[in-house]
Amino acid sequence: MTVLAGALWAGLAVLPAVVHNAYFLNGMILVFIYGTAAQAWNLLGGYCGQLSFGHAVFFGVGAYTSTLLLIHAGVTPWSGMWAGAALAALLSLIVGYPTFRLRRHYFALATLALAEMVRILFLNWPFVGAAVGVYLPLSLMNRPWAFMWNTKPPYYEAALALFGLACALVAVTDRTRLGLYLRAIDQDEDAAAALGIPARKYKLLAMGLSAALTALAGSVFAQYILYIDPSTVLDPSRSVLFAVMALLGGRGTVIGPALGAGFLTLLSQYAGGTLGGLGRGYDYVLYGLAIMLVAVYEPRGLVGVLALLGRAMRRGPRRPVTTAPVPSPGAGPRGADPRTSLLDVEALVKRFGGVEALRGVTLSVRRGEIVGVLGPNGAGKSTLFDCITGFTVPSGGTIVLRAGGSDRVLAGRAPAWIAQQGLARTFQLIRVFPGLTVLENMLAGQEHRGEPLFHVFRSSPREVRERVEDLLRLVGLEGSPDALAGELSYGQQKLLALAMTLVRGPRLVLLDEPVAGVTPAVIERLKNHIRAQNAAGVTFLIIEHNIDVLTELADRLYFLADGRVVTEGPPEAIQRSEEVLSLYYGR
Amino acid sequence: MDLFLAASVNGLIMGLVYALVSLGLGLIWGVMDVVNFAHAEYMMLAMYATFFAGGWLHLDPFGALPLVALLGFAAGVGTYVVLIRRIVGASMVTQIFATFGLLFFLRYLAFAVFGPDFRGITWPLAGGSIEIAGVPVSTAKALAASAALVTYAGLHMFLQYTKTGKALQAAAQNPVAALALGIEVDRMYALAWGLSIATAAVAGNFLLPFYQVSPTVADAFLLITFASVVLGGFGSLLGPLVGGVAIGLIEGIAGTLISPTFKLFFVFAVFLLVLFLRPAGLLGAAQR
Repeated sequence: MTVLAGALWAGLAVLPAVVHNAYFLNGMILVFIYGTAAQAWNLLGGYCGQLSFGHAVFFGVGAYTSTLLLIHAGVTPWSGMWAGAALAALLSLIVGYPTFRLRRHYFALATLALAEMVRILFLNWPFVGAAVGVYLPLSLMNRPWAFMWNTKPPYYEAALALFGLACALVAVTDRTRLGLYLRAIDQDEDAAAALGIPARKYKLLAMGLSAALTALAGSVFAQYILYIDPSTVLDPSRSVLFAVMALLGGRGTVIGPALGAGFLTLLSQYAGGTLGGLGRGYDYVLYGLAIMLVAVYEPRGLVGVLALLGRAMRRGPRRPVTTAPVPSPGAGPRGADPRTSLLDVEALVKRFGGVEALRGVTLSVRRGEIVGVLGPNGAGKSTLFDCITGFTVPSGGTIVLRAGGSDRVLAGRAPAWIAQQGLARTFQLIRVFPGLTVLENMLAGQEHRGEPLFHVFRSSPREVRERVEDLLRLVGLEGSPDALAGELSYGQQKLLALAMTLVRGPRLVLLDEPVAGVTPAVIERLKNHIRAQNAAGVTFLIIEHNIDVLTELADRLYFLADGRVVTEGPPEAIQRSEEVLSLYYGR
Repeated sequence: MDLFLAASVNGLIMGLVYALVSLGLGLIWGVMDVVNFAHAEYMMLAMYATFFAGGWLHLDPFGALPLVALLGFAAGVGTYVVLIRRIVGASMVTQIFATFGLLFFLRYLAFAVFGPDFRGITWPLAGGSIEIAGVPVSTAKALAASAALVTYAGLHMFLQYTKTGKALQAAAQNPVAALALGIEVDRMYALAWGLSIATAAVAGNFLLPFYQVSPTVADAFLLITFASVVLGGFGSLLGPLVGGVAIGLIEGIAGTLISPTFKLFFVFAVFLLVLFLRPAGLLGAAQR
């Protein structure tokens, strides 16, 4: 793949020596410049799922910065473009910090509004030429330091180099941990946080890189067009263009945005000529139609269309995913240590408006125990988990994790931080990342505590891969590491979700109804896994309706009803308790 | 003081017009959680419809209103059946993408058919001005603002006091439960789209007498309508109304007292502030 890409790139680089048609070269230069911006958009909107409709701002910042530096300070655009990139990255971080709190449509709308504000500002700012714009000093023509020529080939090579950089950056992202984490965040930010992935940090990284790359494209564009004004470089239609190229080509892939940029730019250049005879605007009518068709029939874009064609030509039906049987471990020694507690929850209160979901819950989990939480629907069990893992901020009370000699107060901290302290959880409704493969799901669960930022540009370490392989073998999914998690059966997804929590070797695992809705055979396997992991030193806190399973597994049970701990004790005692029976079965 | 009053009155009037354009956007957003980026394009098409109703059928905007609204309703239902129905359960990216494609398609279709020229009509009935609180306001704008109030009232009555309106609300709040109760959710969605685009058509119809139409006229309204809906919040018809009026007032007052070129800057600044501080909107209690 890399060899092929290198050959393609070399071929493109020598093309101007063969083809001298200025019209064609112009088209290719625009493909490279727009393609760079589309790739930049792809980093944020494709991998990370944050749809920006404001990338024209970064394009404009790049164009204006290098141009104004050249005019006012005589700085060569070769340096000026990097200044523009740095400025755009800085701006994107300032904008991104508050904006990333917004989910769904709101992020897109916020970027749209920010871009409009910047455009209005530039339209009325005399220093940057206001609405009139800025001409580059043509007296510097054909001086290489001024990045200015009156022929196409130098621009072609410069734009191609930039485009190569953009594609390489996206390819690296795609193959390393960064791409994995970004896609996990895109698919389910909460589930990513539960694994300890610091979502905002990686979103900001993606946004900074994306902004810088877009600004570089803007600088080259300004040097090529030799004139910039708000309606060429800051127009909302630019933002839309970059987004559409990436989406139409195939977001979240390396070649998609390149395809999209090539297809749309050349279609516009050539179809504009041919369709021009029919009337005005027909090429954009076709764009619109193409976009709608792709959205409805192949959301993966042109890449998806190609993949479908390829598969239709080559392969037969896909193999179903099977799970290998797993030998059940013997009931090994249990490491319950009655003296040291690992998690202490005290007088925990949670109010939702006027409703008190938790009314002073006190509970503790000792090192090496399996503790069960039992209770009727609405007892507050899941709210308890949400408070412990940071998905809900408690209204009162304390939650302390006693880990490795130091106590950590969990109440009110962010889910990712809590997860990094060695807490792992599953959700009542399974939350694996459906669009990631089994292997990728597992790798997303690796340790994120103290993971340096630049390490995300590397593949996962070998120890992690080996551990993931071991765990997959353990749960019987080793035969299908490349299957999409969304295509697994319900039981297999539950097994995967459990295995994901174990990758980083957590201190405490919170399981929310681990055996609900699965077959007796899978229940047996889940029970065996929990026992085996417990024997290996993992402490468990389990919510479960299946009282038999809890009785078998747990050392102690808490019975919750109406937001309070009704009783607590060994399973046998709880099962005999009249109070529990009357609350649970209405006897 | 007089200047402030004049700015407020004119801002209020324009705000009601924005509210009318935003009404349908908020309806679909609230009912289906789909953001229709092409909403204002339908307003643009309605402006052309009113223009040609005048040229060919010699109808003034009052006469053209039933025709234009009906065409809008049909276009809305058609859009739902042909495009939206296929993306109801799809991801947000797909939905945004599809309605963006629709925006391109409609805008440049208009461009291809009608060309880039600006077109307007003269409507003798609305040529003058009337006084509101001592401030002169163009009759055409006052009529558009009145149309907004009437449309809001009509839609409110429909949703609150008819069986179909109640069914529509039920489908919006919980489609699965509504389906279980025998409400045909699919037809309700089609109805919502019909109503949504019909209200956009009413807006276009009354906008034309004082706002010239061209294929890109919707650009000026795109963000303002989003801002209106988000600003007001979801869950009731009152949301886009309050949001639209708030934006009209900000635009009018900032435009007069600070600088007309920066009026939209302030509108969007307020929009972002609300988005960051109170994402559920000014009125919104619960976010979907």
